[in-house]
Amino acid sequence: MTSNTELRPADPGAPPVGPEKTGRRRREPPPERARFRLFHLVLYLFLGGLSVAAILAFLWVLNVSFKTDQEFIGTPPWSLADSIRLTSFRDAWVSADVGRYFWNSVVVSVSATALGIVLAVFAAYPIARIPFKFSGLVLGMFVTGLMVPWMVTFIPLSMIIDDLGLSDTHLGLILVYATYNLPFNIFVLVGFMKTLPKELEEAAAVDGAGPTRTFASIIMPLLGPGLSSVAIISFLNNWNEFFYALVLIHSEEKATLPLGLFQLSQAAEYGSQWPKLFAGMIITAVPVLLVYGLLQRRVTAGLTVGAVKG
Amino acid sequence: MLRHAQRRIILPFVLPAAALLGLFFVYPLVRTVVVSLSEYSRTGRSHFVGLDKYQELLHDPAYVSTLKNSFVFALIGGVLLFPLSIAIAWALKQRLRGESFFRFCIFAPVVLSAAVVSLMWKFLYNPTLGLINPALEGIGLGGLTRAWLGDPATALPAIALTVVWQGVGIWVILISAGFERLPTEVLEAGRIDGASEWRLFRSVMLPMMRDLFRVLVVLWIVQAMQAFAFVHIMTDGGPFGSSDIVANLMYRTAFDQGDFGLAAAMGIVLVVVMLAVALLVNKVMKSHDIEY
Repeated sequence: MTSNTELRPADPGAPPVGPEKTGRRRREPPPERARFRLFHLVLYLFLGGLSVAAILAFLWVLNVSFKTDQEFIGTPPWSLADSIRLTSFRDAWVSADVGRYFWNSVVVSVSATALGIVLAVFAAYPIARIPFKFSGLVLGMFVTGLMVPWMVTFIPLSMIIDDLGLSDTHLGLILVYATYNLPFNIFVLVGFMKTLPKELEEAAAVDGAGPTRTFASIIMPLLGPGLSSVAIISFLNNWNEFFYALVLIHSEEKATLPLGLFQLSQAAEYGSQWPKLFAGMIITAVPVLLVYGLLQRRVTAGLTVGAVKG
Repeated sequence: MLRHAQRRIILPFVLPAAALLGLFFVYPLVRTVVVSLSEYSRTGRSHFVGLDKYQELLHDPAYVSTLKNSFVFALIGGVLLFPLSIAIAWALKQRLRGESFFRFCIFAPVVLSAAVVSLMWKFLYNPTLGLINPALEGIGLGGLTRAWLGDPATALPAIALTVVWQGVGIWVILISAGFERLPTEVLEAGRIDGASEWRLFRSVMLPMMRDLFRVLVVLWIVQAMQAFAFVHIMTDGGPFGSSDIVANLMYRTAFDQGDFGLAAAMGIVLVVVMLAVALLVNKVMKSHDIEY
């Protein structure tokens, strides 16, 4: 796969590749790096600029969160904080209730993700692997949810949640999030299950296993990669969701992080306690950045499957 | 035998998911239509008023202007998003050093909450507390400084830029996947014939990915209509409604004014208009049977 550079004469103006790069190459062997060509300089500047801007934005938020309220108002926005002070984080976590929002978010996003995945695995299995008359229709019904702008339904949805007595509860939010995870989950899992060899069920049936048993002990253990992609993406979506939290949660102590952060930002406008808000932003961002940093490949793989076919 | 045994599990396996989806998605979707035909009083009682609410919408300048803003928003965002994400995807395809680092940084904002990203950019744009104006002054463009979110001319584009900044990583991944699927023989043949990389990109790669771009443009329009959180947090539609989009007007109509019927009608009209636009885009971008 190196042919696209090998076919052309090497650019005479290109500097030789430094020897220090060999260590780099050892760490990621499969994609052979391209030989340097002059227009790569433009690309490095372009990609480097975008990356540096993203990092700077994050560092700026971090820097502000180290400042005191007076420092924030009194110093230019780009100036460094006097010292690495963590008082804003403590204030945010304790007195601004960010700690509570954090645990609310953990409870809601973990439960919704788990529920959404369990239901999706069960529903995806017959659709993917048992031929029946309406399987296409059933899949179609689930997948429509990917194309309709889901926020249009918020009025009847909030009425139904009210009628069920789930208004302003975490359970209501969990059920709604799990529902909105389903189309994507089922879509990806059906695709994944279809790639498994057909003979699995037949062999299990010959050995005398019933369909439920086959599902539980033959199919389930093979779903690892598909499940992890779906789980990570559902979790990220649920952790970050703002609109339905705003519509369905009314009391301040039940807010999830994005909603709590928004309320905090409105309070900050009056009390000029911005560093606390910035600390809250860091607290919200760090868990998802960690998940993403550790599982980068799974996240991007899952998104590609889901969105290209959808 | 096997098939017969398997049939028995179809219903119990599919039913729980179908029930949840029916209760919290399909039913509300259908009921939105019913709500849009009703007048709600503050006490929660409602009666049928036919198409009154739709008629009201036609004469509501606020709705017409948010509908226009929604599509202007999609257009500005699309004009920013597609060239940028295509350029990034192409640059990442060149197998540069540090590729995975670039990928990480460009994709990272995608995993952040819209709330965090909106708040961050709200401050970046702030004329006294933010970084954008000092940065412009720093590079000698002091004349361009302004209250980005406080100026009716720039509020909507400023929000669109924020949405694009957060989401560009997803589109880069999707377009990269499209590049991967191009047949390598065609590109190799072009290279052997002496075509430059730019020529290959323009005359071979982009035309071959037409179908993908068609899907992506429709996907972007659907997404742009749902930029509720960004608008709600950054400007709440202001100044003077210049950055108000349908989603936000709908939310305020329902919960600030309690007019559920009108808000539901807004949603239905939005979906219908959006479907029409999507079909139009689909038709315009239909490829004319390229032969490879």
